[in-house]
Amino acid sequence: MKTFKLKDIKSLTYQRPEIEKGYANQTLCVDISDADISIKPVSAEMKQTFVGGKGFDLWLLWHAVSGKTQWTDPENAICMASGPMGGTPSYPGSGKSIVTSLSPLTGSVIDSNVGGYFGPYLKFSGFDALEIKGRTSREVVIYIDGIGKTVTIFEAEGLPEDAYETSSVLTRHFGNEKPRGISVVSTGPGAKHTLMGCLNVTWYDSKRKRARYKQAGRGGLGTVFAHKGIKAVVVRWDTVTMGANNPADMETMKTVAKSYSREIVELDPKQNEMAKIGTTHLVPIMNDFDLLPTHNFKFGQHKMAGLIGKDVYKDIFDPGFDGCWIGCTVACSHGVKDFVPLTGPYKGIKVFVDGPEYETIAGCGSNLGIFDPFTIIEINFYCDAYGLDTISVGTTMAFAMECFEMGLINESHTGGLNLHFGNRDAALELVHQMARGEGFGTVLGQGVLRMKKLFASEFGADAQILQDIGMESKGLEFSEYMTKESLAQQGGYGMALKGPQHDEAWLIFLDMVHNYMPTFEQKAEALHWFPMFRTWFGLCGLCKLPWNDIVPEDNKDTDEPAKVIKHMTWYAQYFGAVTGRKVVPEDLITISEAVYNFQRIFNLKMGFGTRAQDILPYRAVGPVTEEEYESRQERYDGQLLEKHGVQIEGKSTAEKVTALRKLREKQYEQLKDAVYERRGWTQNGIPTIETVKRLGIDFPDVLEILKENGVTM
Amino acid sequence: MITLDGEKMLWQNGMTVSHLLQEIADAHQYAVIRVNGKYVSRPSFDTYVIPDDAEIYLIPMIAGG
Repeated sequence: MKTFKLKDIKSLTYQRPEIEKGYANQTLCVDISDADISIKPVSAEMKQTFVGGKGFDLWLLWHAVSGKTQWTDPENAICMASGPMGGTPSYPGSGKSIVTSLSPLTGSVIDSNVGGYFGPYLKFSGFDALEIKGRTSREVVIYIDGIGKTVTIFEAEGLPEDAYETSSVLTRHFGNEKPRGISVVSTGPGAKHTLMGCLNVTWYDSKRKRARYKQAGRGGLGTVFAHKGIKAVVVRWDTVTMGANNPADMETMKTVAKSYSREIVELDPKQNEMAKIGTTHLVPIMNDFDLLPTHNFKFGQHKMAGLIGKDVYKDIFDPGFDGCWIGCTVACSHGVKDFVPLTGPYKGIKVFVDGPEYETIAGCGSNLGIFDPFTIIEINFYCDAYGLDTISVGTTMAFAMECFEMGLINESHTGGLNLHFGNRDAALELVHQMARGEGFGTVLGQGVLRMKKLFASEFGADAQILQDIGMESKGLEFSEYMTKESLAQQGGYGMALKGPQHDEAWLIFLDMVHNYMPTFEQKAEALHWFPMFRTWFGLCGLCKLPWNDIVPEDNKDTDEPAKVIKHMTWYAQYFGAVTGRKVVPEDLITISEAVYNFQRIFNLKMGFGTRAQDILPYRAVGPVTEEEYESRQERYDGQLLEKHGVQIEGKSTAEKVTALRKLREKQYEQLKDAVYERRGWTQNGIPTIETVKRLGIDFPDVLEILKENGVTM
Repeated sequence: MITLDGEKMLWQNGMTVSHLLQEIADAHQYAVIRVNGKYVSRPSFDTYVIPDDAEIYLIPMIAGG
């Protein structure tokens, strides 16, 4: 390995505060344009309204940018935070960080949560959040040494290009004696050359003696990071104990943590076995229910899906304990040892691959017509190392492949690449091109929204069909679930604040399989409650998986099994035990509502965030093509006839596609009406004055933005 | 005999998943079960025949995502 140099540009020595009830009570701001390092206090009001995590990120970002700020502008900030419960060892899922910025793909706020040790170590080092502003032409490394109580900006020379090596090299450099005390945030060349760069966040795997990483994948956060000239952010911390957050009520916290941990250890082997197989169990299940995207979300099922499911990956994953936070018994972060890529700069070299998880398998496998587990692993490895979001890469490539098969683009546009579904060589080649900023990879790197415009304007493709099959909303590529048969999930994607990512509301099973919400009002209630509760995890530094991926055995006997009330009660106790704020489970929804509505208004500030943007490509709503309709003709004919009373006798498939489309698009608009009303928004999708007052976010600049958008008392 | 969530149950020749679930209260809440490590989903409940000595777990599948 070649040598590298780190030259000290600026340092700040600080007094590290004691953590009080989950908070350091200050945030760190680094402006790399002029190498300025400053510390800002956290007010009681900030904690009361925004809680932490994503709430703090949004508050900092709101003040950093104006409505005219572009993602490339120096004032655009990258904010990273844990949350008041973040960093508690033993309470499952308490190690999450949330990253926010203005997105290169959407132009508005993006947030992405990620495991690894960064957020907790940042807090224990003295900072509830980190805000990075500015831009520099030299590559810099920001080092937060919580033990030495020093923040340093280094100019870096000679560091490896990709995140795989950079993570490893910087872990060794800063954590020579104790690598477990280091967490590195970095990206790679793909982030420089595309709009869909991700961030890799490490933790040290003591058993395997290597840095492992998870990804803050969505929305191009890595692209912002790379564009600013940041090579890495490194934090160093010491041992973490149950008392590290200095909770208000240690005994209650310990009791709840112990109960939760024990339950997971007992029930996960009986339920989803995530400690053994991660989220790969979803592949066969989604396939069975026609929900696994294949061939650019055209179909939800494929006969070869069994080749890329849990039964295959359980034998490929390296066995061992794989928690991405200390003591998390869900331990779902599995990886592949001694994998040897067939292509690219690591061709023929043994590497460790973190993953794949369900989203990557579906996005870079079935949705591309690829049913080879090893190609998926190779794409996974290179996307991470290059700093590319596997979801956006998969969905974008699937769109290109379908355009190719439909003849909307051809080899003259793709640089000679044959992009038929299932072409594994082409898929890998495109990933490498995206990282190098070469060939058709540069087109893919712009994402689906921009490709639609380009294919229509430059290649003469039909704009309507591109809109119908290009799986993006608000500029963000869809994550990997079929939504055609779940109106609630259409809402979960279409009305998601940042674009179609499932971390706001994943309602497919509740809606389509269990039929828990047959009416518009029940769907609207779910599209209020679930996004609010899932927001709460992002405020507190928590992972949502322990909440409802492993459920109590008596959960089915409760009034509302979908909410997993026993766990909600534990979360309320946990929140109270750490912060000292006594709450009941339903308070967690109200707490989140303030931040959720604030983010909606943040969208408005950036020029979107109204009904007009809550739209979906028709592929997400129903069958676009006759082929799709005829593949499930019995289902669609039955719906037209029995549900809608449409006479289908003598109608051609094309006529039935049109009739179904009209009905389904109308349903989606009716759903929007119901959801907006439930959320306390106008029919244009904007929070009312009454709503912002009720939630305590009626700040003067918020009211001004509402007024500019026609919302007054 | 088969084992359902750790409890022994009588097995019958030709027993499908649907037959098994008829013996369970609130069976409608289960859309997926695991039989000897393999998932069986609701669309196959009527046709999947459970073998003797099977180890079965009911999966309360409400999460995902």
